[in-house]
Amino acid sequence: METTETASVRESSDFSSRIRYLASMLGISPLGLATIVVLLLLPFIPPFNQEHLLRWLIGAALIAAQAIAFDFTTGYISVVNFGFAAFLGVGAYTSALLAVNFGITPWLGIFAGAAFAAVLGLLTGILTLRLRGIFVALMSWFVGLALLGLARNLVNITRGPLGLNTPTFLETSSNMPYFYIIVVMMLFTYFVLRWVTNSHIGLAFKAIGQNIDAARASGVNPTYYRVFNFTLSCAFAGWLGGFYAHYYGILTPQIMLTAKTVEVLAIAYVGGRGSIWGGAFVAFPFIFFFEWLRSSLSDLPGLHLVLYGLLLILVMIFYPGGFAQLYYSLRDRWRARRERAGETSAAD
Amino acid sequence: MDSPQERTRTQLGWVTGLTRSLTSAAGITILIAIGVAIVATIDTGPFVLVNSIVTGGMWALMAAGLSLVFGVMNIVNFAHGELFMIGTLVAYLVFKPLTEYLNQNPSRFLTLISPFAGIIAAVIVGAVVGVVMEKLVFYQLRKRTKEQWIMNSFLLTVGISVIIINGTQMIWGADFKGIPHYWDLPGLHFLGVSISVDRAVVFVLGILTMAVFWYFLRRTRTGRAIRAVSQDETGSLMVGIDLNRIQVLTLALSSALAALAGGSLLFLFPSYPTVGLKPLYIAWYIVILVGMGNVAGALVGGFIVALLQTLTSFYIGPGWEDVIPTAIVMVILLIKPSGLFGSVVKGIHEQ
Repeated sequence: METTETASVRESSDFSSRIRYLASMLGISPLGLATIVVLLLLPFIPPFNQEHLLRWLIGAALIAAQAIAFDFTTGYISVVNFGFAAFLGVGAYTSALLAVNFGITPWLGIFAGAAFAAVLGLLTGILTLRLRGIFVALMSWFVGLALLGLARNLVNITRGPLGLNTPTFLETSSNMPYFYIIVVMMLFTYFVLRWVTNSHIGLAFKAIGQNIDAARASGVNPTYYRVFNFTLSCAFAGWLGGFYAHYYGILTPQIMLTAKTVEVLAIAYVGGRGSIWGGAFVAFPFIFFFEWLRSSLSDLPGLHLVLYGLLLILVMIFYPGGFAQLYYSLRDRWRARRERAGETSAAD
Repeated sequence: MDSPQERTRTQLGWVTGLTRSLTSAAGITILIAIGVAIVATIDTGPFVLVNSIVTGGMWALMAAGLSLVFGVMNIVNFAHGELFMIGTLVAYLVFKPLTEYLNQNPSRFLTLISPFAGIIAAVIVGAVVGVVMEKLVFYQLRKRTKEQWIMNSFLLTVGISVIIINGTQMIWGADFKGIPHYWDLPGLHFLGVSISVDRAVVFVLGILTMAVFWYFLRRTRTGRAIRAVSQDETGSLMVGIDLNRIQVLTLALSSALAALAGGSLLFLFPSYPTVGLKPLYIAWYIVILVGMGNVAGALVGGFIVALLQTLTSFYIGPGWEDVIPTAIVMVILLIKPSGLFGSVVKGIHEQ
């Protein structure tokens, strides 16, 4: 439905409709644009201009960006990449090691990290080709565990659990520039993946995700699209991992733990499967709430994670569509009410 | 049992039957494992073998529970390791005060018995947690939708795992709660190696539980019902099996087995919130190795994976004992996703 709409828009040569077409392909609604503007102004609005709140914001944006890349796989081809955090770690380690050993600037290193994570994602995609559903999740989980094991055990390269001291992007101690770096990275992730999912490729993804045999029967090549999806998602994971490495300045194998994947997974699911933006939107209030909970109730460590789990379960059982579905249903109801108010004669 | 064909086969064909089963993938795997075990024993002394046999029994129980739940309920249980953790925690919380009490009022008999109190408490609590999980979580989802059940139930277990890990950390803290040993007795001598009484008891307990579990599944009415459900859910409904009851029972049984493993291995695995992670990996290696839903295979696979880990950590170095089995399991997933021993489980290719 969406594609026919965009196709008809494409035919008209009117400038404003071309802008609208671009916006719809990139997934920007007026409300979304307003949200982005608010996000960009947030560091100047009083409570958020403190450094520790900025750190929370950066953490939230990092999780948000990861949730976007994660949902790109989970929500579209219905494959849970349970080793997601490991790919993040691969990108982080690649970039960090390049910077530490060869003095390559992090600005280039994060792209090398993305490339290496993409290669591993490609290999994992090829590895999991013959497998279906849950086996893909298990396989990617095992790949993640193997990568975690390597990061822990190749002590002479990664220094193991001691961690690497990585150079940061900038020499400043202020968090403000980092916030804009990660927000730009997040928006770039969002726009690229949104562009892909709004094109015919996204349609193919959805077909594969719903019924792989039906998709194959109707001429969609699952091999190509699945590997492509995995590669792209992992490339973004690796890229974001590079930010992690060069923002926090210390890199341990902890980044690759399954628990990190679970964190992203919970946010992506609460945000809404297959929406791309849902997880990113939800990440900010949630990370803030959880960080606040963690800092104010420090005698109860882990409470925020219990809530994570609880929320994941509740959403999975009672509201599988997550926040995105809530938004859509509210919007539809609002539109219906406005229509009814406009033409009172129409009963239905 | 005593059908004519059966008798002829036992009379005439047991040699061919044996050769056939030995040349199957399962047979070859077992033969290779035995061969490797013998070579390793000659090379390093019997302690490698003894070590893997002792813990192998408990891993087998964990894997059997995991496999059973997958077979009967189609749940890929990520929270299975947390039941192991609950087992260690309960055993510790029961056993520790008991030892302190017994230190003040010594009683030889009670000292011998007290570890079992801890283990039994662990089993009971494990079963209760299993029931609660089924009633509060899986039943609720099953009632609403069965669409994409495998993936959704898997994510539910992920949530359960997070809740249990952090809930325990919140209430009991993240410190190591361990005991040096259950029984303060001199070790037994066996094949020239000294084995602590704890290990010996754990081994016997594992074998005994396996036997009981096996008997239960094969010979009792309820056990047959469980197997029936794992073979054909609709069919078992038609012959009047109460599906809800079987599902509660299965999860309780599986959780109790994991808690038993945790409770009896407390002296090796001090209790802390994420102690269940490693047993979970191991259980998964086993289940993938032998095939999902293959309970019998899981019992054998426990020993194979334990052997593999002991050998890896001995020859390649500690820390690698997870990487090498992971790699092997990945290869198996690629070549034979149904596992080396093969498994016929409904819905395995469901998305």
